[in-house]
Amino acid sequence: MSAPKSIAPELVGIALTLNGRPLRKSVAPEAMLADLLRDECGLTGTKIGCDQATCGACTVLINGAPAASCATFAWQADGAAVTTIEGLAAQGALDPVQEAFKAKSAFQCGYCTPGMIMLAKALLAENPAPDRATIRDWLSANICRCTGYQMIIEAVEDAARRMREVAR
Amino acid sequence: MNAPIRAVGATTPRVDAGLKVTGAARYTVDVALPRLLHAKVLRSPHAHARVTHIDASAAAAMPGVAAVITRDDLKGLNATYGYFIKDQPILALDKVRYIGDMVAAVAAETEQQAVRALEAIDVRYEPLPVAATIKEALAPDAPPLFETPAPGVVPAYGTGASGFRDPAKNICYRFCYTHGDAAAFARADHVFRDEFRFSRMQHYHLEPFVTLARVEGGQIELWSSCQNPFPLRKELARVFNHPEQNIRVHVPFIGAGYGAKNNCKTEPIAVLLAKKTGRPVRFCMTMEENFLTQSQHAAILQLETGVSKDGRFVARRSEILLNAGAYSDASPLVAEKAGYRINGPYRWDHIDSRCDCVMTNTTPAGPFRGFGGTQAGWASESQIDMIARRLGLDPVAIRKKNFLKLGEAYVPGESGIDSDLAEGLDLVCREIGYGRGEKTEGRGIGVAIGFKDSGGVNKPAAAQVKATTTGGVIVNCGTVEIGQGIQTAFTRIVAELFACPPERVTYAAINTDVTPFDQGTNASSAIVVMGQALERAARDCIARILDFAAAQLASKPGDLRLENWTVIKDNQAHALAPLIMRHFGGTGMEFVGNGFFKPETDHHAPLEAKCVSWEIGWGAAEVEVDEETGRVRVVKLVVSGDAGRAIHKDACRGQDEGAAIMGLGQALFETMRYDGAELVNIAAAKYRVPLASDLPETFRTLTQEQGHGPGPFGAKGMGEAGMLPVAAAIANAIDDAVGVRITSLPLSPEKVLDAIEAKRAKS
Repeated sequence: MSAPKSIAPELVGIALTLNGRPLRKSVAPEAMLADLLRDECGLTGTKIGCDQATCGACTVLINGAPAASCATFAWQADGAAVTTIEGLAAQGALDPVQEAFKAKSAFQCGYCTPGMIMLAKALLAENPAPDRATIRDWLSANICRCTGYQMIIEAVEDAARRMREVAR
Repeated sequence: MNAPIRAVGATTPRVDAGLKVTGAARYTVDVALPRLLHAKVLRSPHAHARVTHIDASAAAAMPGVAAVITRDDLKGLNATYGYFIKDQPILALDKVRYIGDMVAAVAAETEQQAVRALEAIDVRYEPLPVAATIKEALAPDAPPLFETPAPGVVPAYGTGASGFRDPAKNICYRFCYTHGDAAAFARADHVFRDEFRFSRMQHYHLEPFVTLARVEGGQIELWSSCQNPFPLRKELARVFNHPEQNIRVHVPFIGAGYGAKNNCKTEPIAVLLAKKTGRPVRFCMTMEENFLTQSQHAAILQLETGVSKDGRFVARRSEILLNAGAYSDASPLVAEKAGYRINGPYRWDHIDSRCDCVMTNTTPAGPFRGFGGTQAGWASESQIDMIARRLGLDPVAIRKKNFLKLGEAYVPGESGIDSDLAEGLDLVCREIGYGRGEKTEGRGIGVAIGFKDSGGVNKPAAAQVKATTTGGVIVNCGTVEIGQGIQTAFTRIVAELFACPPERVTYAAINTDVTPFDQGTNASSAIVVMGQALERAARDCIARILDFAAAQLASKPGDLRLENWTVIKDNQAHALAPLIMRHFGGTGMEFVGNGFFKPETDHHAPLEAKCVSWEIGWGAAEVEVDEETGRVRVVKLVVSGDAGRAIHKDACRGQDEGAAIMGLGQALFETMRYDGAELVNIAAAKYRVPLASDLPETFRTLTQEQGHGPGPFGAKGMGEAGMLPVAAAIANAIDDAVGVRITSLPLSPEKVLDAIEAKRAKS
């Protein structure tokens, strides 16, 4: 990412693509991406759990890679393409990963769900046919305290099937 | 005519799926209001100290600060709260009692400004001696946490049960239960005495404790991540001397709780700051603050169990010490449950149980999934296995020999057990392969039974069901959606009764002004207590609709049937909407039905009412123990609950799986580690919870539908019991594998290796 340009002593000007649309903002140097998304952009689907890059509830995609938005400075997203859970079903229809989580009831309280879906999205972009062990390892980046993970793993397998069918 | 609509048991997605997979689901953390202030609190660095001086004037003058509150702002309030014992101050009064005790709070324009202002508050402490553990707190020279008893009550108990306030220094509550004659011990061929240790877990709910409060024109209004909105309203009314009708509590989706989200946590401080500033205030804790707010109860359990030589259970004496932490919170209730559940689902001639809540200078302990049943089950199910092995009996056979039968009273005066215990045990034994195949070195299988009464104690619940002119149905009740899937279950039950598609039924938002009364979403009570109220409300609404239709059709209600918003009379369907419009005109009408349920008060029942239901969790584990490192690998885990009737099978499966994996974490590694009174692993990354990579190679949950539950369509509460057998099943499997017995949690490699080495040294 390029070094940000300072527009005022206390604020940093950034330009990024958020869920496919251009966004220009002036942010405090210490502002976190999660706060920018939630407080400034009203995208509250991205959740803050531990606020220490451990639980993964705040996972978003930055240029396609999963990132903990609670531990990413807003200015670090300058010039990047950021995708949040709200960006997945932007055209109205659910993304196959969302469809799979819905069909398989791969959630309970739902607080970790947006982060889990973004994490799974990144996995399937990189590996459209992951085996169970790969899914399990990949999902171990995030914490779900409700489900015991097994139904989430099954949903990711189901999402992979759905995406392969769409691609065919 | 079309095939009948079946909502109960259908496999279509949960009603909250669309909102939750798109990020559109709103939680308390997502609520915002104009002119919002943010609160942060200053916490005690001392485990036990007198607060000699507080000066907050410099903080009040800091940039962005709207208000600072300290004990000086509590004058005129009933400044302490708690379930039975009102001992926890909103902010420290004369003393602080644990590291993390709240001393002062700031409301500022931003959280950062509030945090900066906290540093400018001058507090002086005079440290006092510390009691960090159960043993230290019970020592003769232990410092008392409370010099004078806090106000509080002992609930009414029936036959055999009793409760006592402050029976000894640093014991805030004692629960006792007994039945039968102590002489029974003399009839036992063997009496075994064993001690067990239970470590404390952190709930680790991902949505923190959070409240947004505003006080305008004498109206207190709050949005809270709270599972018991009506008890919260009552407690706030008492604390603030505020009329209950002028306190409105909203509960959006809750980002889980596992027991923690109850009573006052963030609410009093948010309300007090909102009152003082005249602006809405949001108080959202951090994950670290969750660790300092509530935990499970650590425990020491001593069991003295008399059995006949052929393995019949005769008598049991239990002494349980719970580490209640610095404030009582729900500890008396947890003590009641631990003391009452320690018998397990077995037949005894004599029972004598005592459970004490011991106050220590650590994080207050409170409700946690299983609620005393976890501690009790760990000890009881471990000891039963030890006894079987000592007597050379089969651990499964000894359980089956002593199981209460379906319908048999738990203890004298109680309701009958509403699951067939042997049926469930056979099921998990088959699935794990119990008694099949050759014994492999270092491998073993263990079983255990999780057990608790469910449905809470003597809980009343009210529900309302409304039907609109066009056949939309609205469920209005106080059960919160905390992840368990209750919105799905309740809308389906009502759809089934209305014989309409589930998507016609919606779940109303919770607002204590208009939501019918409920005592809280806890104790697996929703389906068996509120569920019964809701079924009555739906039937009442349907009766009113049929009464109306009968008048319109010159018929009798008994000759009519409701189906898909038509009324069936003599096999002919009459659409309801035109009938309603013809009669009422305008925009039509709504039909409203009400329902109420409460177990009958009964002085013969030990807890003053017979328990509504019994929740059983059957567990079986196969482990492989590395005798060089002590590492335990759970190869296969099988857990089963009985939903009675599964209203939504995936939701039931999810509850069992989540509970089982929480139990796995408890068994193997989860624990809040203290160095003296200081919590060492207080951080998301330092406290280890199960990850996807921790799943056993084979992990199966089996949702039984035995059909004996008191809820609608035979349903029972579930979701807690799946956790209860896991730790004991794994400890029992370790014994089966390598012949060592670990009696304290977690079952860490160090403990297992020490036990293996001790065994080697002996032989």
